[in-house]
Parts: sequence; structure tokens; C-alpha cells
Amino acid sequence: MLTSLIPYAKAISLRILAGIPVFILVTFGATALSSLAPGSAALLILGENATAEQVAELNRAYGYDLPVWERYLKWLGGLLQGDLGQTLFSQQPVFEVVLERAAVTFEIALLAMLLSLIGIPLAMYTASHAGKILDRFLRSVSSVLLSVPTFVIVVLLSYLFAIVLRWLPATGWASFSKDPIANLWYVTLPVICLSLHQTAYLYRVARNEFVATLQEDFVQVARAKGLPLSYILMRHVLRPSMPQILTVMGLSLTYMLAGSFVVESYFAVPGIGWTVLTAVKSHDIPLVQAILSLTVVVFVIVFMLVDIGYAIIDPRVAVS
Amino acid sequence: MTEHHQDSTILACEDMSCRIAAEPQPLKVLQDINFQVRRRTALGIVGESGAGKSMLIKAIMGIAPSSVSIQGRITLDGHDLLSMNPREWARLMGRKVGIVFQNPMTSLNPYVPIGRQIDEASRLHLGLSRDDARTRAIELLTVVGIPDPKDCYDYYPHHFSGGMKQRIMIAAALSCHPDLLIADEATTALDVTVQKEVLDLLQRIQEERQMSMILVSHNLGVVAGRTDEILVLYGGHVIEFGPTADVFRNPRHRYTEALLSAMPQMDQPAHTRLRTIPGQPPSLAKQLPGCPFAPRCPAAQGACHAFMPEMIASGSSGHRFACHFPLEEIRAQPQEEISEMDLAHGR
Amino acid sequence: MTDAGTPITSKIPDKAELSDIVRTSMPWTSRLRLPGGTISEMFAAAFLILLVLIALFVNFIPGLVSPRLPYGDFSQLPELSLNGLFGTDDIGRSILSRVLYGARASLMIVFIATCISVSVGLLLGMLAGYFRGILERMVDLYANTMSALPSILVVLAFVTATGTSVMTIILILGILDVGTYARVAKAGVISQSNRDYVLAARAMGATDARILLKEILPNLVPALTAVMPTLMAGLIITEGSLSFLGYGIPAPAPSWGGMIASSTDLLSRFPILIFGPILAIVLTVYALNTVGDYLAQRLNNRERGQ
Repeated sequence: MLTSLIPYAKAISLRILAGIPVFILVTFGATALSSLAPGSAALLILGENATAEQVAELNRAYGYDLPVWERYLKWLGGLLQGDLGQTLFSQQPVFEVVLERAAVTFEIALLAMLLSLIGIPLAMYTASHAGKILDRFLRSVSSVLLSVPTFVIVVLLSYLFAIVLRWLPATGWASFSKDPIANLWYVTLPVICLSLHQTAYLYRVARNEFVATLQEDFVQVARAKGLPLSYILMRHVLRPSMPQILTVMGLSLTYMLAGSFVVESYFAVPGIGWTVLTAVKSHDIPLVQAILSLTVVVFVIVFMLVDIGYAIIDPRVAVS
Repeated sequence: MTEHHQDSTILACEDMSCRIAAEPQPLKVLQDINFQVRRRTALGIVGESGAGKSMLIKAIMGIAPSSVSIQGRITLDGHDLLSMNPREWARLMGRKVGIVFQNPMTSLNPYVPIGRQIDEASRLHLGLSRDDARTRAIELLTVVGIPDPKDCYDYYPHHFSGGMKQRIMIAAALSCHPDLLIADEATTALDVTVQKEVLDLLQRIQEERQMSMILVSHNLGVVAGRTDEILVLYGGHVIEFGPTADVFRNPRHRYTEALLSAMPQMDQPAHTRLRTIPGQPPSLAKQLPGCPFAPRCPAAQGACHAFMPEMIASGSSGHRFACHFPLEEIRAQPQEEISEMDLAHGR
Repeated sequence: MTDAGTPITSKIPDKAELSDIVRTSMPWTSRLRLPGGTISEMFAAAFLILLVLIALFVNFIPGLVSPRLPYGDFSQLPELSLNGLFGTDDIGRSILSRVLYGARASLMIVFIATCISVSVGLLLGMLAGYFRGILERMVDLYANTMSALPSILVVLAFVTATGTSVMTIILILGILDVGTYARVAKAGVISQSNRDYVLAARAMGATDARILLKEILPNLVPALTAVMPTLMAGLIITEGSLSFLGYGIPAPAPSWGGMIASSTDLLSRFPILIFGPILAIVLTVYALNTVGDYLAQRLNNRERGQ
């Protein structure tokens, strides 16, 4: 039993190794950012009223007076000890703050992805009735939907549901652990906004995949055997299309994070996107650096999972 | 047309035709198809590509594209197929008819283990339980000659070679113990040595299980010696039909004769030119009145281009053909089976 | 019908140059054909052309007021006049005028950024595809990294340190898509390198640079142009989002995102005011995506025909 896991272990370690250059590239770039600040980074962060001692102290703590390489190594060292510095607005350790906020964004992203799964049964139906009215209608709708930027969706939906219909709150947040009901109440509108694009995209990819699979010979064979359409869709069409669907789900992470900036700032939700925006305003470079690094790690892991998912789903592909 | 008892016929087509809607006239893919397959007999359907063989099979199976309209009557085991709704048709087909298609490499779903692909029909149509279906599938795998059937049940298609995949397809087709087995160009995509094995397997299965069989091929060698009756299709029409031995020994339609002589003969000296049939098969778009073979027929005359010949009987064995100026009837000879080797040696 | 190029039936003149001889065996002869697209694709293309014209010549539109100065009462409803077509904003400026000038701003940013991306990406991609090795790995690494990070995050990270300005935005947007163009160029070069005409050219002694520039480069154009509109649409969205958040085109300069952001306060009272910029941005992105899909389809068909 254990030996069958070995190829998976190999595959995982291979991909983690492949992800290391990406991690280094991004985290190094993030460290180098502080060199871009006009004047010194410390001055930027502390503002013009800072005393020389404060500036010097910050320089020492974060290594802003060091050359980039040394600063990077210093940061890496801190990372390994779990210390990424302090945030400026609350003096909390960056690590803690980032994790807390990430959980919020994660909740919204997860719910949005789950909601978007509705695209799959829709796609199954239209793929098996390709060319008919519903198929063409949904294709236009999804096209248009994908052309509306997230911030426009946010403004429009918020107007509709919060101002006109007054079904949902316009802004606000309650933590899930403290008040689950209120949390769901506040999370609904952000989740709907984020999931619209995701659903449209997933629907399009799934529909095209299904249509292609339905042309395959083995589907003809299944029809010739007299198997019902629903069985054919679930058992013969869904599985071959999974790799593409999986890719979309993995890529959706990028979209969720990108969308979180606009969504969180508009709905006043304390997630990663909102955190970055406040950090930008106060020139909080350490925080931004930490968030960039976390993002990269998460993405490398997610892409790796998608890759391995391919191998699990497609019996022809060996895991390593 | 000679009548047979309803009981002894498994499949019958009466005045069947298939049309595709088009401008300015509908395309006639198949016209006036009349034939019957009796129980426990094997029928060979022969014709060039484009003659309509695939469409015929698809029409019977109920999987013709939706743009095709079917007229006439198709009866399976007494049931009138065209009057059934698609779901009933599919269920009846699934239980009574097994079909093996041409390309084994693409006929199996690479994402699904073969065991499931074999027993899904029996589970869905006959309601067999998972274990019963599995037992039956393993039994069928043994019948078709797959080694280690118990292990192979869980393997995926890519583990098997082309010939073995085709055997798996045959096992899948037998899953519901059908009364009729259709092999649509089942060996065309296989190596020559494997072709014979698979054809022998089909023949053996047909005889052991007392099923009816339809062998569809463009290759006469495939149907020789393995079928009781043969139907020749050309340009969407049935142009000759009858007991195989009769038709081979005494082809009446010029096209049939041309097909037979086009086969390479082993007795002839090396580098002998193969006899070919000049011209092209008729295109669907240009449908001329009269016999579809007329443009290519060396003996064609005015009447041939003007109107389609009627089916005429030749002898009393059920051999019939549609030709205005057929070949001479050869007087009755002892009915012997003609095998593929006989054909290769010039009958 | 495949358009796999014209066969070599034309006579080769006596004083044939290397490139002429090689070109006759090129698998892709480009003759600009009229696009055989559907109505919506024609409309999309026409819209984009109109948009470019507006961006270039907005100053010369007769009767159009300045986008910065108020010209009437604030928050007026739309009326059937040139300047009042979309109403006025909360300071009394003509929304239509701001939308049209905003088109100029957005298109300029996106256009310059794309120029940067394409030129750098093309160069890197061609070198990576031709010489392979480390260069190829680096290009792949860069492209993978960039696709892992959301564009807005990258821009905002830079802005944290440098502060926001139009130049910064253009530069960073330019860097973002370099990876994608490089990858497309690289893939194109690799697939073309094995074609007969390249081998023929090399056999006749052409230098690497000559092969790359004169023979392979023209064949990369279809793939690059197929991918451009979609990437440009992404840039429009990114720039719009940045302006919406306040880190893009600085106020009071007109920008579509900024206009939408500033009218959100008044939504409950004058919802109609966001209509103008929303229409503009959605139409632009939709048109770009439509054209991009069309070009990508043509590219696919061409590849399959070969």
C-alpha cells in the first residue's frame, strides 16, 4: 500500500522543486521593491516627520541600507524563523495578520468556486442539445458577462441588491467563527459578484469540452448500446473532460485573488485584497512583500495539485 | 418477395429509405431497402464506401443523425421500430442487438475500465447486480480469448493491443446475450493475421450461441464462407441478394460480377493487372434516374439510364437481383460453401 | 479548403535572390483576405476602429466641451444633445466628453504598454526559441511566474514603493505580458525551425539573424495578432480596476474606472450617471474579446489546414 504512494511523493517533490525558482524570483523581486522607493524606503514608510533615529532603526530592522542580496538573505532568514516583521498600522506580526486576512479571502473564494460549479450541469445540458436556442443564448450571455469587469459587476449588483431591493447589506463583515449567520449574510453579495465570471468561464470551457467528447467514437458506441443519455453524460463524458475543468478551477484562484481587491474594498471585507490596498496607502512595504510571497507559495501548491489531479484522473498518464 | 414466418425472422426491413433534408431536393442515402435476417443465420452486407452500409446500420440501431428521416418499416423481433419512441428503441436494441464497430482504438473510453464497459449494458438493460454482471463479463472475456480475465476486468483500454480491444468490444456486444450481432467493418482496422482470428471468433460465437449475425464489409473475402446470405448494396440500393454460395457462383448483377473479379487471384502469374471497375461511385448530390451502376456498367443501355430495374428472382433459392441486362443464369449446381480460399483461386 | 500557400508555379527570375527562392517554398503566403466573420465580428472590428479614431482626434470633435470644466448644472439627466448625451457628473462636467477623453487615456496606456510587451517579448521569445537552452528556461520561468500572480497585485506592489503615476503604470503593464508574448513567439519559432524553408535557407548559407528576421518573423505574426486583442482587453480591465481603486490615472484626468468610482456615492439618487463609462468599457472589452476569438479561430483553422 505504501509503495503505491511513492510515485506521488516523487511527483510532489519534483513539482515543489520546480516551484522554487518561481518562489525565489518573486520573493527576490519583492525584496528589491524597496529599492525603488524614492529616497530611502524607511523614509517612505515613516513619513516626512520621522526622526533620524527612527529611520536608522527601521533600516537596521529590515536591512534597507543593505544591498539587495543581503537584504534578501536577511528576509529569508526571518521567514524561516516565522518572523516577517511588524505591520505598521497595528504593530502585529505580519505573519499573523496575513493568515487571518487570508482566511477571509479564502472563504469567499471557496464559496464562489462552489457556486460556479453550477456551470457544469448547465454545460452538460447545452452540450447535448448543441446549436439549439439555450445553447446559443448562454454562449452570448457568458461572452458578455466575461467582458464586464469585476468592479462594474460589483457596482451594479450592489446597486441592485443593496439599494434597490434592500435584500442584502451594502458593506460590512462578521467573522465566521464569532457569528456564522451574520457572516453568511455579509458574504453573499461578495460571493455572487466573484462567482459570476467564474461561472461564465467554467461554463464555456465545460461546454466546449463536452461537445468535443460527445463526438468521440466511444460515445457512439455507448449510444449504440442503447444506454440512456444521462448515464452517458455522467459516466463517459464527464471524466475525459475533467482535466480541462480542473485547469479552470486552478486558474480561478488567480481570478479570485485579482477580484478580491475590488470586491473587498467595495464591500469593506477585511481580506487579503483589502489589506494590500491599505498597505499601499501607507507604503507598508514589509506587508506587501509578505503577501506577495504567500501568494506565490499558494499558487505553486495549487498548480501542483492540479497537475497531480490530471495524473489521477487520466489513467493513461503515469503520476511521475 | 417470398414470405417467411414472423417467428423465424429476427430483423426485417420493408421498403425502407433514408433521406437527408437538403436544397433543392432531399439527398436519398438509401432507397427501397428490402431484406430479412432469419434467426441463427448470418447475413453479409457488401458494398463500396458511400454505398450506404453505415447509414443502414445506424438507421436500424436508431443512432442515425437527427437530420436523417427514415421511411418504411423496420421490424426487430416483431417490434416495429420506427413507431417506437427513441428510448424504447434504445432499450430494445440494447437487449436484442450487439454491435461491434470498425475502430477498436477509439471505440473504448480510455477513462473507464474495460470491465465496466462490458457490463454496463447488462446492468442497465437487464438489471443485473454488480456481482452478477461482473461474473458474466469475466465469462465473456474468457469466451473471446482474453487471458487472465479476472485481472483484466479492472484494467484500462490502453493496456491492450488493437486485436484484444476488438475482442473486448465483442465481449461488450454479447453482454446482454443478444439475438443479433452486427459487425460493421469490424476487422478493417486490424492487421491481416488478426483479422482472421477475429472473424473466426465471430463465426464461432454465432454458431455456439445460435445467434443471427450481420457482417458488413467492403471486402468480399470477409463474407465468403462465413455467411449464409449476402446483400449487395450500391448507390443506396439493394442490387443483389441471395444465398452466398449462389451469388458467388452465379452473380447476375454486373456490379457483383465486377466485385468478384476484382479480387486478386492466386493462380494467376505474378504482376497480373488487377481488374478494376472504372469510374467513381455515385455521389449523393447528383442523383440520376435509372440504375445507379449504369454510368460504370459496360453493358449499360438506354433502359438502364432511364429507370431503376425491378427485383427479379433467379432460381428458387431466394436469390434475386435488380438488373435490366443481367448475366447469364448458370444452371443449378451442387450447393457448396465457398470459402475465402476458393475465391482466391478463382472459384 | 486549405490555404497552405500557393504552389511553386511562378517562374523564378534569373537573377533570383536567396530570399526569393526560399520564399517560394514558404508554407504561408500572406495575402490579406477580407475577414469572413459574422456580423458581430464586423461590428466589433468597426467599433474598435471608431474607438481608435476617437482616441486620436477627440480634440477636433466640433462642439465637444472640455472634460475638465463644468459646463452645466451638476448631476443632470441625459438629454438629446452632444454634450448632454450621458448627462453631467456631480461637478457639472459633461460625461460624454469625459468618456471620450477617457478613451484616449486608456487606449494610450494600453497601446504603449502593448508595444513594450510585444517588442520585448518577441525579441526574447525568438531568441529563446531559436537558441533554446537556458534562455528558453528563463522565458518559461518568467511566463509561468507572471501567470501565477494577478496583474493588479504586481502593479500595486510596485506602486507601494514608487507611488502612482501614469508612466509607472504603463511600464509595469508593459512588463506583465512580456511572458505571454515571449511564449507565443518561442513556440512559433520552434515549430517553424523545422520547416523546409528554414533548412533550405540555412543550407544556402543564410546567417541566423537573417533567417530569424526575414523568414521566421513574418510567420509569427498570425499567432501574435491572435493573442494581442485578448491581452489588450485584460490590460483595459486592469487599468480600469486600478483607476477605480484610485491607483490608476490620477484625477481629475478622465478615466473610465475613475468615473465609475466617483459616481458610486450618488448611485442611490442618480443611478443613470454610471451608464456612460460602463457602456464604454464593456463595449471595448467585448469588442476586443470578439476580435481576439475570431483571430484565434482563424489561426487554428490555418494550423489544421497545414
